[in-house]
Parts: sequence; structure tokens; C-alpha cells
Amino acid sequence: MTAQLTLDELAALMKSAAGLTVDPKELANRSESTFAEFGLDSLGLLGIVGELENRHGRPMPTDAERCKTPRDFLDLVNTSQKHTDTVPTTGA
Amino acid sequence: MSSPKERRSVVTGIGVIAPNGVSTDAFWKATREGISVLDVVTREGCEHLPLKVAGEVRGFDPADLIEERYLVQTDRFTHFAMAAANLALDDARLGRADYNDSPFAVGVVTAAGSGGGEFGQRELQRLWGQGSRHVGPYQSIAWFYAASTGQISIRGGFKGPCGVVASDEAGGLDALAHACRTIRRGTDAVVVGAAEAPLAPYSVVCQLGYDDLSTLDDPARAYRPFTSGACGFVPAEGGAMLVVEEEAAARSRGATVRAVLSGHAATFTGASLWEESRDGLAHAIRGALEDARCAPEEIDVVFADALGVPAADRAEALAIADTLGRHAPQVPVTAPKTGTGRAYCGAPVLDIAAAVLAMEDGVVPPTPNVVDVCHDLDVVTGRARPGELRTALVLSRGLMGSNAAMVLRKGPKSPS
Repeated sequence: MTAQLTLDELAALMKSAAGLTVDPKELANRSESTFAEFGLDSLGLLGIVGELENRHGRPMPTDAERCKTPRDFLDLVNTSQKHTDTVPTTGA
Repeated sequence: MSSPKERRSVVTGIGVIAPNGVSTDAFWKATREGISVLDVVTREGCEHLPLKVAGEVRGFDPADLIEERYLVQTDRFTHFAMAAANLALDDARLGRADYNDSPFAVGVVTAAGSGGGEFGQRELQRLWGQGSRHVGPYQSIAWFYAASTGQISIRGGFKGPCGVVASDEAGGLDALAHACRTIRRGTDAVVVGAAEAPLAPYSVVCQLGYDDLSTLDDPARAYRPFTSGACGFVPAEGGAMLVVEEEAAARSRGATVRAVLSGHAATFTGASLWEESRDGLAHAIRGALEDARCAPEEIDVVFADALGVPAADRAEALAIADTLGRHAPQVPVTAPKTGTGRAYCGAPVLDIAAAVLAMEDGVVPPTPNVVDVCHDLDVVTGRARPGELRTALVLSRGLMGSNAAMVLRKGPKSPS
């Protein structure tokens, strides 16, 4: 539950994985805008998903790299996070 | 390529990122002065390898010209190409306002001999060191031969015909020829050229198998074509990009016509068969002259391939004699790349850039590190030689057996 992904962390990942400088406040204000509008392409999002998987040692939901907006992405990732935190599964 | 009724291809912009200069002006100044920048290889991970001398691009920060979002997903060879394209577009004063309404009128063509070795090595090390989950997704595009064409096209918004020539050194000239064909078919402008980055450890190891690679450790002696001390070639990184436009389109937007790409031909004679390259190169020269409707006597300067392997140098000298006949001993021959090394596909494009600048300045740049030429050629050594240059012949051969020749003519309104 402590491992919820925040907009700050997403902005940092967009910087490290895709070289995009995005103000977290901007990301918050425009969280319904598409990743494409922030300059993030599909491979960039795939890189972020891979980084999160490596960080947490388990796979992200299959649709994570298909999310179109930061809001969708946070919702999906954090919902699955909550789910796995409250109902631990075996193995990774 | 050159019939008056046809759509002629002219050079309107030049961008250079080379070991002897990370701008066109710096490159030309060093080239004209005959300054050699060949030096001991210092790239991390290469110090202990048998290749001792190369032409490294130093003092180049791609972030000065290219946004970080492009840099993270591209290899050094693409950084060079994107930066050079930027410089060429600035030089041609071709900006978004010129093609915003017609993005399909501008294409991109690059040549590449090896793709992105440094990026690829880093990701392969992650694959075998940490596992497949640690390989970044941009590996899927960064090390491809096509990466530079794609990224230049995306960044500039160029939606015209794009292409990639995956070849050996001569591919640099073939890319220019492809751009000319693209223009002939109706495209107004093509951003075209080649840049390479073959000095990552993985890339250097790949080149160690070339018998023609010079492994001498003395920068002044490692690459001396056309001399009895010839002992192979020295590799280099960098290259050049040009803006090539259809002549009428260039004139209608007020661009300066720097040179006309008048003729090209290419042949193939097989890897390392240097004796055979004599006929192959000669055939390419004849083809390029014919394509340009150019008589041998019209050639005012030859930019030689100058491999630095005795058999290859002999074959090139004979090919020049075979094709230029009585004119051959009189025509100045130069190989400025002896001061920078051979940047694979980038090398002949750098020679094209130098040829355009040489015609504009009326001076043949010298061949650094070369003295006591042992072939029947008038190789310009020591210092630059002034002369009126209206037509240049640029030659290139590749280690895998390609031979190419290109004829270019001075632009009618070039400053002199």
C-alpha cells in the first residue's frame, strides 16, 4: 500500500525512461491528456512499465502499456497494486 | 540525373560533425589547412584493443542541438546524423515555414554501415548481465541501420519519401544518388547523408577482423595511402548531412545553389578483391561521367577513396588513369580523410561536403600525413592548392566490395 505510484514518480520515470521533462503539477492538472501530448510514445511507456516491474519484482497488468493517459495509467497500476497488496498471490 | 529537362538536384545546405570539426566551418578550416586529428583511441573500453589510432569526434555534446527525448532513444551514430541534419537545414535556411503546408515534399535518406553499436552493446550487456527484463524498449529501434533516417524524419516532420542505404563506405554516395532519384520523381527536397559511430568497444572488435585495418600506434604513420608506407586505414566517427533540393524549388524559395549533383554510378567487385576494384571503380567513374555528360578533361579535382592498402591504392590510381586518360596525371587528387580517418558511409559524404566547399573557395585541400607518393598521381600534399574548380569527382570503395563515383559541379551563383 506504500508502493502506490504517484504523479511525482511518474514524472521522474518519464524523465529517466524517455528523456521528457514534465512538471508533476502539469501532469496533475492535465492527467486526462494523452501521453502522446506529453511527448511520450508507446515505447517510452513500455520502458516505464518495465522499470516498474523490475522495481517491484512482479509484472504489471497486461494493459498497462496500452494506457492512453497518466490518469488511466495510475488508476490501473495502483488498483492492481492494492489488489495484490491485500490479496497476496503466490510467486511472481 | 543532369538532363536540363529533368529535375536537377542541387546542394543548398551542408552540416558536418567530424573528428576535425563539429560544425561545417570548423571542418572546412581544418580540412583546408590540412590539419590531422588522428590520435590515440581514448574511448572507454577500447584502450586495450589492438586498434590504436582513430579519428574520434571530441567536444561534441548532442544536447546542444537535439532534445533529450530523442537522445535517450538513439545511438551516437544517430546523434551525429541528427546534429548534422540540424546544421544542414540551418545552412540551407530550410525551416518549418517552408514546408509546413507541404510536408510530403521533403524526404530523408541516410546510409549506414553498422548501425548503433554503442547502444546495442549497452543493452546486450544488460540482457546477459541482468536479464531480458532489463533491456530497454528503445533497443528495438536504436541500433537499426534505419534509425537515423527515421528520427530525422520524425523530428523535422518530413513526410516525403524516406530511405536507408545499408552498405559499406560507398553507400554514402549511393544515398546521395538515391536522393537525386527521389527528387527526379517529384520530391522537392531531401535531407541526405551519413554518419557513423564505430568506436564503441563492440564495434571496434567487429572491425578487428578486417585485414585492411591499420593497427599502427603512431597517428602520423597509421594511415598513409598512396605511399610506400601504406599499411591500411584508420576508422573514424562522424559524417555529414546535406540538404539536396530540386533546382527550381530551391531557387523559388531564394536558396543559394551551392553545387549540382550531376552524375553517379556504382559497381560491385567483391570484398577485399582490390585488384578487381580497378575495373569496378573505372566502370563507376565512366558511368558517373556519362550520367553527368562530363568529359574526362572537365574534372578539376578528384577526391580519392584512398584506402591505404597498397593493392587498393594501385587499383585506384589505375582506375583514374584508365578513365581520365591523358588528363589523369594533371588532375589534382586529394584525400583529406587521411587527417580524420574513414567514417565508413560518412566518409564519402564528408568528401562531397569538402568538394563543394573546395569549389566555392577555389582551393584543393591537402592530404595530411602523406608525403612521397609512389603512384602516378598528382596528389596534393602539404598545403592547399589554389585553382579554379568547376567540376569535382568523388570516389568511394567499401570493404565489402562496392565502388561508387559521383560528379558534382559548382553552383552557378557560388561565392568565390
